[in-house]
Amino acid sequence: MKKIIATLVICLCVVGSAFAQEEIDYARKQAIDSLALEKVRDLSKYIKIVGSKDTPFSEANRVIDRAEELFMSDAEIGVSSLGSNKITFYRVRKYFEHLMRLNYDRVEIEWYNIEYVSDLQQQPDGTYVGVITIFQTFRGYDKEGNLVYKDTTKKDITVYVRRKETQIGGRTIGFWDVLLGDMRVKETTNR
Amino acid sequence: MKSKITTVMMVLLAVFITLGGTTSCKSKKRLAREAAEAEYKSKVEQATQDLNAILNDETLWSLEEKEARVKTIKDWNLQNADVDSLIFEAEKKLARERAQKDEEERRAAEEREKAKAADVVLGRNFNSIASAGSVSQANRVINETMGLFESPNVPVLIIIKQNAGFNDYDRPTTIEKYLNYLKDQKKVDEKVFDIKYNANGKINELELIKK
Repeated sequence: MKKIIATLVICLCVVGSAFAQEEIDYARKQAIDSLALEKVRDLSKYIKIVGSKDTPFSEANRVIDRAEELFMSDAEIGVSSLGSNKITFYRVRKYFEHLMRLNYDRVEIEWYNIEYVSDLQQQPDGTYVGVITIFQTFRGYDKEGNLVYKDTTKKDITVYVRRKETQIGGRTIGFWDVLLGDMRVKETTNR
Repeated sequence: MKSKITTVMMVLLAVFITLGGTTSCKSKKRLAREAAEAEYKSKVEQATQDLNAILNDETLWSLEEKEARVKTIKDWNLQNADVDSLIFEAEKKLARERAQKDEEERRAAEEREKAKAADVVLGRNFNSIASAGSVSQANRVINETMGLFESPNVPVLIIIKQNAGFNDYDRPTTIEKYLNYLKDQKKVDEKVFDIKYNANGKINELELIKK
């Protein structure tokens, strides 16, 4: 009896994962890869806008809302500094609020070398998971325009891509939902 | 005696020939009349059948084919009261269908023209928002563009990849969010693919495709 139940459970798992997985061709996979990279680039622009002291408060808040939508609900962002070995993790909104309140008169944030460190791989539940690495250069200036702080941080962002469906105008629309997971600090230098 | 018999024979022959010729002529006319009657009957039956099919929407003919059929039946000039009545009803029905089709074609042409114009306007405004020199300038173009839409929540679908028979989309967004996205990202990576309008001529669905 136990053997039969075990066999049934295995069969159900195999069938379940077969239904969850969808074979996609190379061209479609490339489109998804690009979409996920684009979301990370979008995030870099949002960080730049919120970090800028020239951005009106209402605009910054609107951008934070958009940035939050890029992330999974429980995602956290790691923050480091040259003066400490400690890495502080913030929920996405808290991270942006912290960014808005930074005690500099001018802030410059640049992201570059945005690329996959681990390609999107399909998981048994059908979700594609990958890791994108970015380099961030942060510069903080005082009111005289002097550079008072600079660091470069390498960060890894986990990306999740799921196939979803929604109804729009009576049609079923199949879409790829890209969500960013935790953003982890890999190293921080004064370069 | 012999000459009497010959005379009688000659008279009989003449009578036979005369009677025979008359009977043959009458038979031909009868046949022709019968053929004409059969043809008329067949045409009446065919006309009745076709006209009823047209009136009851039981045919797969196009409007043009139905119009041509009614004209052919009318040209037969059957002078049959029932057929004439059916022709009258069929012509009335086809006139209604023609008016409806013409109206649909006119609207479709109008939609195409509008879509073409909106395509140009939207493309121009998207670029203006992305390249705006300031937030207020971008917001001005956003407000102007929003006037073309039914509401700020009009869905915007972005095709990331076209496959055989279906499209892959990014997560659906709204026009308000999309226009602000252009302002934030300062780039336009999409172009208009399809536009849908409500009865008031406002856009109620926008489909974009990655360039």
